[in-house]
Amino acid sequence: MATAVKKLDLQEGELIEVAGRRYEVVPDREGGLVLEPAITPVSELYAKRGMKPASAEDFERIAGDLPTDGEG
Amino acid sequence: MSPRSNPSPVPIRFDHEEWLEEVERLDERSQARVQAERARREIESGTATLDWQRCEAGGEGGTSLPGCNKLYVPLGRQGASEAPFGFVFQLAQDPDGRLVWNFIAFGERHPNNPNTRAVYERAHKRLHGRYP
Repeated sequence: MATAVKKLDLQEGELIEVAGRRYEVVPDREGGLVLEPAITPVSELYAKRGMKPASAEDFERIAGDLPTDGEG
Repeated sequence: MSPRSNPSPVPIRFDHEEWLEEVERLDERSQARVQAERARREIESGTATLDWQRCEAGGEGGTSLPGCNKLYVPLGRQGASEAPFGFVFQLAQDPDGRLVWNFIAFGERHPNNPNTRAVYERAHKRLHGRYP
């Protein structure tokens, strides 16, 4: 018996939840769209927690002389 | 250039949401998850030597991770074959104004599968809300 296909009319950035897990519609590398496990932006997480990114000056003071490896 | 250990007494923070999305998404028996959980235990026990590196404001694949540092996983290893994974942390202020290294991403440094997002792409997505 053929499996019924559920068609979802989704746009980039939309979220769906399956079995309690969130998935987000994101662009793939070929110009299409794909569902991936959601990554909640820090702006949203920090707003809930009362946190914020440190200043560039604080980062330079603490980590400015650390090495980099060119990867990312 | 060789990495440097423990650049400051700034504490490291692993929050539930990021850990769930970055590590607990993985099969609990996978090498990636086992290594991430081990590295976190070592960090939180205070026994690990942390070879910090600064992330790039303009990295491979268009990633931009200003204000972020990283650790290779397993801790204390360097080459991509010995340390295939990485943690990325953003320097942040907690509600009391204290600086913390907030965990934001975990994943492969150089995934072989073209459909797998590198840890730097995941970190970029978490910082900017979209992939590079």
